Amino acid sequence: MSTMRLLAGRTLSAGPEGFAEHAARLGHLPHAGRDLTEVVVRSGLTGRGGAGFPAGLKWRAAAARHAHVLVVNGAEGEPHSKKDRLLMSTRPHLVLDGALLAARAVRINEIVLYIGEHHTIARAAMERALAERPAADRKHFRIAAAPARYVSGDSSAAVHLVTTGIALPTNAPAAPAMVQNVETLAHVALIARSGEDTGTVLVTMAGGVSRPGVLEVETSSTIADAIALAGGATEPPRAVLMGGYFGAWVEIGQAQGLTLDPAALRARGLSLGCGVVGVLPGSHCPVCETAGIMRYLAGESSAQCGPCFFGLRALAEASGRIATQGSNSEDLQRLHRWAAEVRGRGACKHPDGAVMFLQSALSTFGQEFASHPAHRARRSA
Amino acid sequence: MPDTFLWYVTRAAGAVSLVLLSGVVILGLLSTMRVQGEGWPRFLTTGLHRNVALIAVVFLFLHIVTAVVDPFTHLGWGAALVPFSSYYRTFWLGLGVIAFDLLLAIIVTSLVRNFIGHRTWRAIHWLAYGSWPVAVIHGLGTGTDVWSFWFMLLTATCAGIVLIVAGYRFMAGPFDPLHTARAVFRGSVEKRELP
Repeated sequence: MSTMRLLAGRTLSAGPEGFAEHAARLGHLPHAGRDLTEVVVRSGLTGRGGAGFPAGLKWRAAAARHAHVLVVNGAEGEPHSKKDRLLMSTRPHLVLDGALLAARAVRINEIVLYIGEHHTIARAAMERALAERPAADRKHFRIAAAPARYVSGDSSAAVHLVTTGIALPTNAPAAPAMVQNVETLAHVALIARSGEDTGTVLVTMAGGVSRPGVLEVETSSTIADAIALAGGATEPPRAVLMGGYFGAWVEIGQAQGLTLDPAALRARGLSLGCGVVGVLPGSHCPVCETAGIMRYLAGESSAQCGPCFFGLRALAEASGRIATQGSNSEDLQRLHRWAAEVRGRGACKHPDGAVMFLQSALSTFGQEFASHPAHRARRSA
Repeated sequence: MPDTFLWYVTRAAGAVSLVLLSGVVILGLLSTMRVQGEGWPRFLTTGLHRNVALIAVVFLFLHIVTAVVDPFTHLGWGAALVPFSSYYRTFWLGLGVIAFDLLLAIIVTSLVRNFIGHRTWRAIHWLAYGSWPVAVIHGLGTGTDVWSFWFMLLTATCAGIVLIVAGYRFMAGPFDPLHTARAVFRGSVEKRELP
């Protein structure tokens, strides 16, 4: 395992690391070409945007179909996720290095930095970092604003914004483009220098911890370690939402021992996703939290397909009724039945992601859903 | 097995297809309208439309395959796909083939909807309004049982309900239930000029 870390160097509160400082710390951009693809394949690096696809395999496929644009995905539309913003705001040259290396390996000339429209500090840092670069590097880049919607961060939506001007998510094969998350590319910048996996992940600790925010942790650390690093839980937790809103709820007893290792999590049927670890305090109601998140996800449907637009709305309403009016077996049955009906019926991954989240809530909090008293629905954590 | 067995199957499967395809058209029309309740969100109508369509296709294939392999008609496989190519009841059978070809386009585009995009899929789905009436006329023109009371009643009932629901739907509008929501969403994800 490499000793390099993404967030090594100056303290994070000191603002973005400049080009001279970056080069003095890590040396100049390594002279790597197409051979870097195989180094990345061997490193085992997986995408850190959510889907967790092996980066090296993505590069091989992109080279084979002559992708001509690289989209550096810093949309970060996931509520609670802060790690992409933090990385761009503090280590912008790591992201630029990774983007240049990936573009060279796949023979791409055009690189688009796709940054959340409200993430102004991150964009300013990336713009300044670009200005510090030699003109030969700079000419490959342009910046596009990612609309502030949940689905904007989907790789197909990113490609559609760059090619057609509308960030619409689809399953249809998009233009020959390669999309890679900013953290993934920052790892590439280190892998190209050391030849091996960085062995760390960026996670955003959210919910019931004393110091919510971004942590860089070893993949061998457990969720309990991460909670301790975030200042400990504010009160005994009930469960953890692993991987953001398209992730899954895990009972705290099982969650604590899980390592933050993408491969190990996948082996357990879970996913690191976008790296959000949401800690649900014991005093919060899991049914109300789930209902709040379902309402949010239903509102983020792009309204392309009826099963997603009307189906998620019906699921949000049924879970909302259980949250506000108390359990009833009819709505509970509907949640199970309709969730199965919606899955696989959309033109993009949105309905499936939302339904899998709901199904994890139904199985983790089966007891609570069956015996929920009438509450006023709280806003999502 | 009596040699008229296949012919009976063709007739029965044809009648069942008439009922199921009419059901598919009715459910398709209803799915674009505000037919919903707390226990029946409208996306379930779409799901039922799709599932009944799959069953209808099974009976339609049975109808066509038994007609083709029936030694009495000597139709051949070409006649099942190319309109007006059969020597046997050329015109009326040709109508059935046209209806089937249109339906085939609808089935294929629905299976590959993710690859061709929603707009193209939707445009081709309008062919249903051509396919269904042609199929009904085919049944009236060549159906062996056309003068029997039960077949007349079946056809009249199916056609009646489809016409009533279609009339209601085209008066009610809008044609696309997601039109407004989709426009709102697209507006929110259009490319912004950077300040």
